[in-house]
Amino acid sequence: MEIKTAVRQFIAENVLLGIHQTTIEDTTPLVTGGLIDSIGMIGLVNFLETRFKVEFVPREIDVHSLNTLEQIDELIRKKLASQQAGAAGSGQQIR
Amino acid sequence: MPEREFPEPGSDEPEGDLLSDWLRRTAAAMPDAPAIIEQDRVEEDRITSFGELFEQAAWLAVRFVEHGIQKQDRVALVLPKSTDAIVSVFASLLAGAVYVPVHPQWPKERIEATLADCAARLVIEGEGSPPRITDRETGESIPWHAAAAGRSDSCGEHLPPGGDADDPALILFTSGSTGRPKGVVVSHRAVGAFVKWSAREFHLCSTDRIACPSPLSFDLSTFDIFNMAWCGATCVLVPDHSVWMPRFLVQFVREARITCWYSVPSILAGMLEEGRMAQHDYPGLRVVLFAGEVFRGADVARLQSAVSQAVCANLYGPTETNVVTWCCVPRDFDGSQPLPIGQPCPYATVTMDATSGELLAGGDSLMSGYWNRLEDTQRAFVNVEGKRYYRTGDRVSRAPDGNYFFLGRLDRQVKRRGFRIELGEIETALASREDILEAAAVAVEDGKMGTAIVAFVRTRSAGAVSLLEAKAHCARMLPLYMVPDHIVFLDAIPKGSRGKIDYIALSKTAETLGHASPSQAATNQAATNQAAPDNGDQDRSPAVHR
Repeated sequence: MEIKTAVRQFIAENVLLGIHQTTIEDTTPLVTGGLIDSIGMIGLVNFLETRFKVEFVPREIDVHSLNTLEQIDELIRKKLASQQAGAAGSGQQIR
Repeated sequence: MPEREFPEPGSDEPEGDLLSDWLRRTAAAMPDAPAIIEQDRVEEDRITSFGELFEQAAWLAVRFVEHGIQKQDRVALVLPKSTDAIVSVFASLLAGAVYVPVHPQWPKERIEATLADCAARLVIEGEGSPPRITDRETGESIPWHAAAAGRSDSCGEHLPPGGDADDPALILFTSGSTGRPKGVVVSHRAVGAFVKWSAREFHLCSTDRIACPSPLSFDLSTFDIFNMAWCGATCVLVPDHSVWMPRFLVQFVREARITCWYSVPSILAGMLEEGRMAQHDYPGLRVVLFAGEVFRGADVARLQSAVSQAVCANLYGPTETNVVTWCCVPRDFDGSQPLPIGQPCPYATVTMDATSGELLAGGDSLMSGYWNRLEDTQRAFVNVEGKRYYRTGDRVSRAPDGNYFFLGRLDRQVKRRGFRIELGEIETALASREDILEAAAVAVEDGKMGTAIVAFVRTRSAGAVSLLEAKAHCARMLPLYMVPDHIVFLDAIPKGSRGKIDYIALSKTAETLGHASPSQAATNQAATNQAAPDNGDQDRSPAVHR
């Protein structure tokens, strides 16, 4: 599953409305670069939760952890890994 | 928990009426009661009692005075909303200084310009705890040492004697139409008038748990922190990272057992919609207040039914006057009509300019003026029958029952998610970038998203500035809430016969942009191209960039 591609696609469609082809690099700042603001963040988090079947907790919603595709990729991977570990260990354990 | 044992709201206060005196009295009356609750990142609550809050603030205030801070010197708080930030507020006030809250996520340049504008003597900053305190002139630092000294009986004695209620207590910087934020100077009396009225009207007391969802740089926060000091209520800080996440907020209100909530409607609208507020119960929640922008009638009705046991009220007033009118939402409000901004608060006088329909507001909550801007201050006020009024710029109507209704603005100020924005400031920011020759910004209603800002720019040559570059430039110059949602590149900005920008034409163009869903976008492109004259972006096939 290519996390970055999916997120890039989401931003192209929903933030840039799909009509322009500016490429978002892995390190393009999304929040501090003025592409996603607080409301945009709600949409992004909803998308990530649905698409990757993860659940965020309040302290994970942070400019510093969701500012670039790279950071998002890392966070989602970490969450998926800990979910798997949790599921393997106790049957179900999602924080 | 002890009820208030000191003078009831509204009674005569013997020692003058400074906001700092409120904390002093409350801390003496109920030192062990919780003043501030802060949810830590590690999810352990940090609870600060009134005694601790006063001690920390007074200890720090003494350091400020020893350092040479004079009455009415400015202390800038470039801090996230935290216990430390509130300690800093009261430390500044106890030292006789004026606190200037600055949002730490503002762009660096804007922060620097604000500190320079208000000539701040001290800056308190830093994400972690404790923050750093620096003298802006000498670079010297003052140690924070929160709570290190334990209970110190000498705290209060080295503090300067009380000042006057008309002395400034804080300066709030708001968007300025010429591109430079304006500092609104607010006195102890002005904050006091509003807070004491709200405490009385909504029966706030020491058992209340008041949420603090707004940044300290936003005038709504004065309700939260000064009602804490006045009533002995507990102020529960809403973590910054949760504020725009509706489902976390709804959870927060439940788990933190909030009894009183005051925020912009946008936040409540999110809680109702994405947060599914109506699916839960909030047994303790008894007061829900909102202000800062229009709350759609239908949403107000949804709110009232979601929290049916609570009193809901619409408070109205720009930063310059704080709240001057208010309207309690009727229990049977069905949302088919807009909610009025209501009738004047007892400390306020309002009237209407007969010609323009502009609401003029006066009374105790009025600002002292704009910091260091004599001309703007003079323009802002008008005398009517010997009374000083602030020209709100809001066009209103008055119903036969005395209720005022908000109709719109007389200028180009807009509200986006409760934030006040001068479109001129966005234009100035865009035009300050190399290769952008001209910029014009308009606001459009964007359905579920609320207000969207569309900026039109003309560049030196086609493709000289990309969308990402233009947005990134805005993000470097402006707070994020002011960054345009869409940026459209044009060969020429449409002008009227006198050479002035034709904002009406631009608004029409903007309206055709905002509603295009991703799938529609491509098909709408042709229409958009026609609406947007002479699109200048030649390097990519779509004519209009967003």
